[in-house]
This record gives sequence, C-alpha cells and structure tokens, in this order.
Amino acid sequence: MSQNRNKLIDLFIGNLSNAILHRILEKAIKQEEIAGRYQKEMRNSLEIAKSYREKINPPSNFPSKDILEIKERLIRKVSSELSLRISKGYKNLSLENVEVEVDLALKEMKIA
Amino acid sequence: MNQIYLPKSASAMIPGQYVTINILTNSNQSNQKTNFKPYFYGLKQIEPIKLEIVQKVFNIISKYTEKEENIIITGSLLDNGFNFNDIDIIVLSNKTNAKMLEQEMLSKIGIKPHIIMLTKEEFVQGLASDPLYQTMISRCISKNRLIFNFKPRINAKLLDLHLLKSKTLIDNFNILNGREKYYLTFNLISITLFLKQGKITKDSVEKTIKKEFNLKSLDEIKENLVDKDFLVKYKNIYNKTFSLIMEKLKHESK
Repeated sequence: MSQNRNKLIDLFIGNLSNAILHRILEKAIKQEEIAGRYQKEMRNSLEIAKSYREKINPPSNFPSKDILEIKERLIRKVSSELSLRISKGYKNLSLENVEVEVDLALKEMKIA
Repeated sequence: MNQIYLPKSASAMIPGQYVTINILTNSNQSNQKTNFKPYFYGLKQIEPIKLEIVQKVFNIISKYTEKEENIIITGSLLDNGFNFNDIDIIVLSNKTNAKMLEQEMLSKIGIKPHIIMLTKEEFVQGLASDPLYQTMISRCISKNRLIFNFKPRINAKLLDLHLLKSKTLIDNFNILNGREKYYLTFNLISITLFLKQGKITKDSVEKTIKKEFNLKSLDEIKENLVDKDFLVKYKNIYNKTFSLIMEKLKHESK
C-alpha cells in the first residue's frame, strides 16, 4: 500500500513539475508569439496531476512532512530543467520565482 | 405525386425515378447552394453531409463577423468517417466574439466548435514558426482562396514549449487513451519534421509516424494498441528532438 502511495506521489510530482515548467516557459516567451496558439482540449499535465492527487491517501490533511518533501522535490525538478535551458542561453528565465510558482501550484492541488 | 417529362438528353434521371421540383428563381436555398464554392486543400473527397456542416459554419460566421478575411475549417472533421468530436475553425478577422459564435454554432449545428480567432498577420506569423499551423492548412477547406507567403523561422523557445506537451506521454503512457497518445505523437513528429524541413504537411507527419514507429496503420495508436516498444522509440525521438531544440537555442542566443 505504502509502495503504491509512493508511486502515486512520484507520478504526481512528475506531472505537476511539468505543468509548473510549462507556466514559467510560457511567461518567458513574448506574448504575441503564443497569441491564438492552437490548443486542443486535451488532458494536460496539470489535470493528470490533479487526478493523481485525488488518488493519494489521505485526500485531505496531507502530513506536513510529506508536504515539505513534495515541495522540495518539485523545486529541485523545475530548477534543474530551467538551469539546463539557462545554460544553453535561454534569456528571460530565472530561478528566483520557482518557489512562488511551486507554492501556487500546491495550493491549487490543495496541498499547502 | 405528379409526373414530369424530360428530354432523353437528361441522362442523369432515369424513367420512374422520384425527384423534387423547386422553383429556381424564388428558392434562396438553391441559390445559396450554387453560390457555395469553398476551396479544398489536401482533400480528395468529403462526405456531402460534412459539406453541409461547412456551409452552415460559413454562414453563421459571416452573419456575426464584420469583414472576415477568411474562414478555415480543419481537423478531424475532414478525416474519413465520423469520428470527430468537434469542428476546428480558424477565423481570420479583427472583430468577432468567439464565445458568441461558439454558442450559436452549438445551438444551430449541434457540434461543438473549437474556434481560433486571429488577424491575418498573426496567422502568417504562426505559419512561419509553428508546425501545427502548417499541418492545419495542409488539409483544410476555406471560404476564400488561401494565399500566404511565409518563410519558415525556427523559434526554439516556442518549439521547446510545444515539445513539453508531448512529455506527458512518457510520464503517463499507461493512463492515456489512444486519441491522446495520437495527438501527442503527432505533436512530437510535427516538431521533429519542422526542425529538419521547415515546411510540413499533415500527410508528411502521418507518413513519418508510420515509418518511425513501424506501424501499418495510424489506428494502432488511435485505438490504443501500441506497447512498450512504441514508448521506447517515442522516448528516443523525444530526447533527440529536445537536444536539437537546445542546440538551436544556443545558436539563437549567440
């Protein structure tokens, strides 16, 4: 059961970090370049993360130890993806706002 | 029921066939039908009932839009059969209320529309830098003739953002349905081909998907019949494409 829970948390973190990264990259691109962008109504990482969130027990009142661990892992994952892009010369990206974005996403997931 | 007499030269109608007679001059409907001459791109044929839907869409948009430059219908509606969930519509206009159009179409046609409102300039910019726009116009029906001059432009940041969507398949292979897997694969291969060729079409993307994943039919993905071998190949293509985009990013920043 515990192993299953850990697997669900891994999948939750993977999808949520992808969604956070998407948000940060979207903000870094000039608005007119993505204006009217073709977006199909598909399940995206955020929606999939939500579905994993619902499966993780307990559904409410996450233990604070778990919250802290999830938050740290999310920050690490998103920062690592951003750092890779910054090292390739990606401009308008910074690691400063990662924690804020992670906090926002966790709030949306009702983990905070 | 009455009988009508026609000369023998009217070969399309055989004796005894039931026909409908309309007064030509007073019939607005028949006039509309003869005036309806849309432009077809990358399409060999389309079911007559779908053509009626297209005509209704054009009429609704024209009624509620001020000076639309063009209306383009694309997406799964134009694929063979009736496996479409919505109608993908691009309206090139400066002034339109997309929400109102969506409601009007839903109530008059009964199919959910997915409307993208763009100015002509935005659309041309999209064609130059976004592979999905190119695949959209490679198989479409438009109200007016499509004349666009654009030079492909690699925008590494935009492609990076688009590619990130396709990562969802790697992380969630077991829970995605066939339609989602197909869309994400199409997105990945569009980006890969766009990086190599600059100009792409829906056909070229579909052919490449079949070749790269060794598939007899694209239905194998759409019907969720692909296995772990597919995922291994997918990961490999994803990683190579990501590396290529990062290389382009490096050049862009110099």
